[in-house]
Amino acid sequence: MEMKEPLRPLRKGAPRARSAAAVAAVERREERVHTWPHLVSVELMAALIFLVLLSLMSVVVKAPLGSLANPEVTPDPAKAPWYFLGLQELLLHMNPSLAGVIVPTVVLVGLAALPYIDRRRKGTGIWFSGPKGKAITAFAAFYTAVWELALIFLDEWLPVPGSEARGVAPYLEYLLRPLDLPPVVIDVLGGWLVPIFFMTFIPFSLAVIVRRHWKADTREVAIALYTFFVASFVVLTIIGTAFRGYGMQLMWPWEIGRPIGF
Amino acid sequence: MSRLGKWITQNRVYRSIYRNSYPTDDRNRVLVILNSLALHLHPTRVPKRATDVSYTWGLGGLSIFMFVILTITGIFLMFYYIPSVDQAYWSIVELERNVTMGSFMRNLHRWAAHAMVIFVFLHMTRVFYTGSYKPPREFNWVVGVALLVLTFLLSFTGYLLPWDQLAYWAITVGANIAKSTPFIGKQVEFALLGGYEIAQPTLIRWYTLHVIFLPMALIVVVSFHFWRVRKDGNISTPVYEDEEDEVEPISRTQAG
Repeated sequence: MEMKEPLRPLRKGAPRARSAAAVAAVERREERVHTWPHLVSVELMAALIFLVLLSLMSVVVKAPLGSLANPEVTPDPAKAPWYFLGLQELLLHMNPSLAGVIVPTVVLVGLAALPYIDRRRKGTGIWFSGPKGKAITAFAAFYTAVWELALIFLDEWLPVPGSEARGVAPYLEYLLRPLDLPPVVIDVLGGWLVPIFFMTFIPFSLAVIVRRHWKADTREVAIALYTFFVASFVVLTIIGTAFRGYGMQLMWPWEIGRPIGF
Repeated sequence: MSRLGKWITQNRVYRSIYRNSYPTDDRNRVLVILNSLALHLHPTRVPKRATDVSYTWGLGGLSIFMFVILTITGIFLMFYYIPSVDQAYWSIVELERNVTMGSFMRNLHRWAAHAMVIFVFLHMTRVFYTGSYKPPREFNWVVGVALLVLTFLLSFTGYLLPWDQLAYWAITVGANIAKSTPFIGKQVEFALLGGYEIAQPTLIRWYTLHVIFLPMALIVVVSFHFWRVRKDGNISTPVYEDEEDEVEPISRTQAG
């Protein structure tokens, strides 16, 4: 058996005895810097910059204050805070239970479940986990935006023959009228099944495309689906905030003006 | 050091507050982190990427900084705000007209609140795209989702308090959405409004949630979030091929 060299007491500058695993671990470590001043200074700068910017904004832009609350006068349009306007946009296109409760619940549960579905450590610590992820992100954002804008326009403008109404649900009703179905069937179809079909089809088709075209693994499919979520949030929130005016109709931001009864 | 500097820093009182001298050498750079309540959330040394703005964009830190601004401005607003349907609106009008810095503090509270929602959302997006939810950080990602929900709730409960048309009808929209919850819609709406319509019970309920319950809940959960960041190996760094599938104890590769 090989004799081990006895451990010497540590002197300054003397090489320390380390196991092979410890040596390997140390070699792999990223370069480290002292938190003070390297990180603390960056944090202080960030805090100061945003404190100054927000203070300047607070001097120049007043927080809105409408007239006293009046349950008798409904403003038109009545809107939720901006971060809920994506959901409010969904409300225009489907059953309120689906848009307002089920969709956000599914989204939150899906977000929380994500790390238990995409479990491999590969790709940690790299933006988009590499160039492929970047391309998938760009494609997924574009794909989502095009689909959702097309569907919003379709539901807003699709004319129904022989009627003033516009939109997908009234059109379905017109198509199915000869069958003389009970109204509840029409409601379930227009308010539930068609929206659920599209809300499943867009992410599903996206996953299929990135799997085929990019040979995506689980992480890359997760990137596509998360991008679907972010792009949907952004598209719906922007439409709901800046492009919905009187009667929640689609219009240009400069046509919206101040809500009536505000 | 100047004589004045020495006079300030070299006496019993100053020494009893700051135990180490100004961190100009490595030993004191470590001590200043360890000996400070706020700074010891950090490790004494960090991977260089933690200081790289284009890796983290400082979004988590900015989120909590917004919370600090909101707490300070919020306490200021509480001195003047009266949570009563008859007086709430007029107490804000009064605040804006007659209180020194009143309008500024209200504006800052409002804009920092929007900023916090944006920063928290962007922080989540940064964590996602850098794969920082992967093992061993899974549970902290779940905690982060809870913090996103708490942020939305904090912002939304504050929305009703001015008792203007904007507030009243935004909450009406929100309550109508809640009412459409399958099976328990009526109960959910009743719990939110403290009754069948938006009135005094609603205001006091949302006020209490906004100024005490939700901030306390957020402080508890975010403390756990910070603690867990340290326990899960601090900032995420790339893993090597032979580590890809394993969930290894952090101490070997990442600690200290």
